[in-house]
Amino acid sequence: MKMITRNARLIIACLSVMLLSLIFFGAFTWISFGNRWFSSSANTYIKKIQKNIIPGDIYDRNSNLLAHSNKQGVRIYHSDLETRQSMVHALGDSKAYVPYGAESFMSNYLYGMKDSYFDRLSAAFKGLGRKGNDIRLSLDSNLSKYIHTLFPKNQSGAVIVMNYQTGEILALQSYPDFDPENITQSNLMDPMKPFWNRATKWVSAPGSTFKLITYASALQNLQDTKSLRFECSGCLSLGDSNISDAKKAVHGNISLFDALKVSCNISFAQLALRLGDQALHNTAIKFGIGDYYLFSDLVVENSRYPSQNRTPKEIARTGIGQSSLLISPINMCMVASSIANEGVMMEPKLLLQARDSFGHSKFEFEPKVYKQSLSVDDAKFLSNAMKAVVETGTGTAAKVSGLEICGKTGSSEISGQKETNSWFVGFINQEEIPYALCVVVEDSGSGGTVAAPIAGSIFRYLNSHLKQ
Amino acid sequence: MTQFEKRLNIKTLKFSFTSYEMLLFLFYYSAFFLLALKKPSPEAFLWVLGFPLLLAICNMLFRQALHFDPVLISAVNFLSGLGILMISRFDLRLGTGQLFNYISGMILLFLMSHFVKIFRGLKRWSFMLGLLSLGLMALPILFGREINGAKAWINVLGIGFQPSEIVKIFYVIILASLLSEKRYFIAAFFLSLVLGLLLLQKDLGTALIYYAVTVIVLFATSGSVRLLIGAGLGLLVGSYGGYTLFKHVKKRFRIWIDPWADRDGAGYQIVQTLIAIANGGLWGTGLGLGNANVIPEHQTDFIFAVILNEFGVIFGVFVIFLYLIFLFRVLFIVQNAERKFIALLPLAAGSLIAIQAFVIIGGNIKLIPLTGVTLPFVSYGGSSMLSSMGLLGIIQGGLFIQQANLNHDISLYEMGENL
Repeated sequence: MKMITRNARLIIACLSVMLLSLIFFGAFTWISFGNRWFSSSANTYIKKIQKNIIPGDIYDRNSNLLAHSNKQGVRIYHSDLETRQSMVHALGDSKAYVPYGAESFMSNYLYGMKDSYFDRLSAAFKGLGRKGNDIRLSLDSNLSKYIHTLFPKNQSGAVIVMNYQTGEILALQSYPDFDPENITQSNLMDPMKPFWNRATKWVSAPGSTFKLITYASALQNLQDTKSLRFECSGCLSLGDSNISDAKKAVHGNISLFDALKVSCNISFAQLALRLGDQALHNTAIKFGIGDYYLFSDLVVENSRYPSQNRTPKEIARTGIGQSSLLISPINMCMVASSIANEGVMMEPKLLLQARDSFGHSKFEFEPKVYKQSLSVDDAKFLSNAMKAVVETGTGTAAKVSGLEICGKTGSSEISGQKETNSWFVGFINQEEIPYALCVVVEDSGSGGTVAAPIAGSIFRYLNSHLKQ
Repeated sequence: MTQFEKRLNIKTLKFSFTSYEMLLFLFYYSAFFLLALKKPSPEAFLWVLGFPLLLAICNMLFRQALHFDPVLISAVNFLSGLGILMISRFDLRLGTGQLFNYISGMILLFLMSHFVKIFRGLKRWSFMLGLLSLGLMALPILFGREINGAKAWINVLGIGFQPSEIVKIFYVIILASLLSEKRYFIAAFFLSLVLGLLLLQKDLGTALIYYAVTVIVLFATSGSVRLLIGAGLGLLVGSYGGYTLFKHVKKRFRIWIDPWADRDGAGYQIVQTLIAIANGGLWGTGLGLGNANVIPEHQTDFIFAVILNEFGVIFGVFVIFLYLIFLFRVLFIVQNAERKFIALLPLAAGSLIAIQAFVIIGGNIKLIPLTGVTLPFVSYGGSSMLSSMGLLGIIQGGLFIQQANLNHDISLYEMGENL
């Protein structure tokens, strides 16, 4: 009998733990994913409360009106067509063709779900129709429109501009786009998928921009990185294929520093082989590659480091940003931001403020550190290398006189495409203009010729309009 | 005055409403009042006046006149009332049906609570009871209709009836009786027969529960860790077998991993459940203001999701705690039991309720893949209510025996004093 009692105690303890685990699991998943479930387009409850609540207005960082519901309940966006188009992926549209735009993802504020019962009751007693909270986003509508004028017509790609000190997103764009006030049949049928947010949901090989991570890995794992030199003979043979440089360049004996400047594939391929897959992968993890992103304001596709078939050829190709690396444009922007911000990667944020119809603040923005990617010294060193890229290297098209610009170009080869994807990531290394960006134009040419000039114009605009 | 008369307090019938009844009354009065405001009708107002009173009186009667454990009976009444509430909220006719289930359940509860005392041991009964159980379980295979991948129901005189639910009560008695006499192999053999029939019914969720209860009672009597390891391996093998042999198991597994991949098709139920939980948040949407009826099976398997939707996460935690109460009462019985059978029987009954609650709530919140079992006392269904009440009656019966032993000891002590 004593044994039965002892065993029974054990059993009941286990069963109690099981029941309690329900509570912990439920709370954990609800806290982590609750907003995503709520904002999903499969949620019919929102349609139910839409009948009783007018959604709040959306403003940009300078209090320009971006979205508003008129008396008939129709959602009206910015009055200027090009501005509307340039912000449609960040904002979302009223029918949620763009999943998880601010209209959907912040609907718990827009429909006043965070209002206290006291406020709801007072509104009911005063006979006021219920209105949700107005929100102010970190986006800059003038900047977004300007970028829209720069991006080549009929090309696809993405542009992100971020404040690297705070994580605020000033522009989040995907091309091609559409007019949220006039969604046409051709939009719906367009094989280029204009509703898809390429900035956050498209992952691909980022080309030579990944060399920043390879370089960071060398700084973290090798002793003599700062004085490292390589032999570039124009061709590196790896098994059944070769690695060569753009325009068949031969660099001879070249320092790693200069190799980044001219984007020498052979040097970086050799560097990747010297580092080994494990070390390179660990550094990539420090930059958020492989993380399951659970950002508070955005839904971002997870980046992936290749996991299969790690032959020397594939490791070398990973080091130069090819192989089966899958990284989103916003992730690369975060990489540049962390280098700019002394190695600290900030979480990308969109929401600055939420205010209810009585003027009470429901949310105030606070910057959040996402992770520490590099040491301060390594970040400074890498910034210098990136500065050389723009001063005299592949990224001179992004140069702006009077500004210290740091950057890296990338030209990723994608099978099936005639031209490479053109990438540029970079930042202004000045405290009063703390912005980083990523520009990608698909199937268009080299990073230095297509993306870099666009970046340069954006930097010029940031200098003249957004100095702090 | 006979024992029976003393028990019913016939001479001095005092009706006193304590805080348990007050709480039950207030909660259900407000709830049905809100529902009546939302959808006024004569039936709705009848419910407002009648149901909370019925529940409170029932609670008081069982607590005072029948001497049921106050916490236990209040928890049961609250859960049953919650079930009736959430069912009536969408369909008052079904709510009325569940009310009748509740009343029949309470009668069974009373009967079973006294059965445990009278029961002196299976011996003659065992074989007959076992045969009866197996026969009942075989009926759906022969005459049943297939619903949701399982052939677990038969129609008797127009009423749907699920034998595997009622057999739970018989099974628990047979199991406790066999194992209190250490007849392990017969118990294992009986389990395999029952499991076999359940597998033929394709009711894998219930099979899991029978399996778990048997392992628990076997462990209680033997204390063997090897048993646990073996049982765990058996579970893995069984799950793998279920996965490869049954198509609907594959489907359930797939939508457990990622329901969003097929959010309008197979994953719809789980996706809408997660969305309903998010809509409710911490405090719920408010009674009558949610739209959890988009979830298929929201009156039966997914009733917990409806509760989370309209009352919120905090209230859901409270409901889980109510199931913990049953476990703690069982612990009390086991610690003070004098006979093995009296320890094992309530242990089996309480474990079954707890496991069933875990399995279905876990399926609702996507902790484990979905199985077709009901939430005890809350889900709609006559068979479900009867089986849960029967099992609870067993637990209360165990408490009666403890009380009787205690009284006996006290009277012995008093006699000793007088000598």
